[in-house]
Amino acid sequence: MPPREGTYGLIAEFNTPSELVYATEQARAAGYRRMECYTPYPVEEAAEALHFHKTRVPLVCLLGGVMGVTTAGLMETWINVWAYPLNIAGRPLFSWPAFIIPAYEWTILFAGLSAAFGMIALNGLPQLYHPVFNAPNFRNGATTDKFFLCLEAADPKFSLTETRAFLEQFPAVSVVEVEH
Amino acid sequence: MAQGHEQHGHADHAHHGPRTLPASLAAPEVLSAWRMRALIVAVVATVLSLLFVMVPGGKTHMLRGYLLGVILSFGFAGGGLVLLMLQYVSGGKWGLLLRRPLEAMTRTLPLVVAMFIPLALLAKKLYLWAAFPNSEMTEQGLLNHVINEAQAHSINYKRPMLSPGSVLVQTIFVFAVMLTFMYLLNKWSLQRDADVARGTEQSFDYWRVKFENLSGIGILIYVILMTVLIIDWVMALDITWYSSVWGFKFLVGQGYAVLALSVLSVILLSKFEPIKTILRTTEQHDLGKFLFAFVMLNIYLTFGEFLIMWSGNVPEEIPWYLSRIRGGWWYICTLDFCCHWLIPFCLLLSRDLKRNKKKMVWLTCFMILARCIDLFWIIEPNFPDAAGNLHLAGNIGILAYITVPLAVLGVWVAYYLTQLMARPLVVVNDPHLEEILEPEHAH
Repeated sequence: MPPREGTYGLIAEFNTPSELVYATEQARAAGYRRMECYTPYPVEEAAEALHFHKTRVPLVCLLGGVMGVTTAGLMETWINVWAYPLNIAGRPLFSWPAFIIPAYEWTILFAGLSAAFGMIALNGLPQLYHPVFNAPNFRNGATTDKFFLCLEAADPKFSLTETRAFLEQFPAVSVVEVEH
Repeated sequence: MAQGHEQHGHADHAHHGPRTLPASLAAPEVLSAWRMRALIVAVVATVLSLLFVMVPGGKTHMLRGYLLGVILSFGFAGGGLVLLMLQYVSGGKWGLLLRRPLEAMTRTLPLVVAMFIPLALLAKKLYLWAAFPNSEMTEQGLLNHVINEAQAHSINYKRPMLSPGSVLVQTIFVFAVMLTFMYLLNKWSLQRDADVARGTEQSFDYWRVKFENLSGIGILIYVILMTVLIIDWVMALDITWYSSVWGFKFLVGQGYAVLALSVLSVILLSKFEPIKTILRTTEQHDLGKFLFAFVMLNIYLTFGEFLIMWSGNVPEEIPWYLSRIRGGWWYICTLDFCCHWLIPFCLLLSRDLKRNKKKMVWLTCFMILARCIDLFWIIEPNFPDAAGNLHLAGNIGILAYITVPLAVLGVWVAYYLTQLMARPLVVVNDPHLEEILEPEHAH
């Protein structure tokens, strides 16, 4: 695939999360849809302003947990009842109270790992290149104290001049064009 | 998401600035109406309870049901005290939000003390340590086959702690200490808000340190004293049995109920000022997570206790569980498991539910009901007529377990609401106040 060229979008840099959220709400109201917020820490209202869809991480986590509890339960049952039956103080071979703790641990383990790896996979990571890093101050600002809103060129409403004018009405530190 | 949008999606920029507190921070008028409702419930439940006097076994079950109600009320008052101290040592905006409701819960302690008086007077009908206060009477009881040998041995062996005089001294001491803590924490809280230097860094630090110093040691003292009280008045219902996690299990149960009641209180109050201004979805979500932690810790301790006794399988310990599993108790045991853990656990996993006011109201009410079921499962099988034999036929008096705790709880809630009305609902001399008035996204 040949490298993509041209404009990726216009990115505006803000000093406070409030300004970012306001600008995002306005952009949404103006009809923009292909846009993204970049913040140094989770800003829930920005996600709400973007009408960000629900992620599937909780589902992946739940499935991981269910998988963990079933695997551990079946494994313990198989070992204790069929593979290596032991008479422990005359208790039944299928002594479920004793199985609960390992099954619980496996639930936590599987759920935790699924959540972590599921999150990474659903985020499309690892990703070696992203155009927004071409914006000045993004590399430093987006991880410390700046808030960015990027309106992407893929949006049908996007126009270099009009979108720039739209973004410049907000108290943005800068509005710059990002190349692919 | 849709609901969040309604709340925060307005296009006016002013909406994103900090909110301002209403002029009056006093509790809303509606609390008197709620108190009236609680009293009506209490009266109706009392009238219904009195009907049980006429049925066979009614009186004894009324007393046991009363014990359940008192222990539940004590859980709210004492648990409120420990959670109040906990939020002072941990800090955080959730503590600011809950402080006045928790203070109101602690101020119900005098009522709880009064509720213990009938229990103390009728202790002979509930506790073997009260019915057989000396070795001669124990000997006599053994000869008459009123008690068995194990019980007689336990009564004699545990007499230094479990005898009417000793329990009375312990109870008075425990309540005296708790009332002292209650008095100081409540007094200082008003003084803190009235501080002439309020709003300054100096005043913040002075009061924070003062509260921390009392609360840190207070939590430790409370845990020990609450354990003593709960051993005397609940565990000793079965004189032969003991469990070392007992106190901690009740502590977590208290946290469970108190947190459920606190969340319920602030959500219901958030329809009116001033809580309307300070309750944000963020803190409600945090409290939901905290509640979830208590749901987990509670099952952890309850199951841990069971697993250890099940593994040991010792004749001194295991009958306690057998009388709570066999003879119809399996249904209550399962109900307890589902209501107390399974349902709250599954529901609280959901982020949307924790952020939804209406659903949290239902869930917290359900969790308080679950505490009642749990206490019923703990209390009733202690008695010989019910151990391993849950039956309704010829035992209609057992239904007093529904009406009597309801009456006690109705009275308690009415008193709690009275205390809640006595003070402004928002504390002002606290650095967190400014933060909680910020919009949700400015962490």
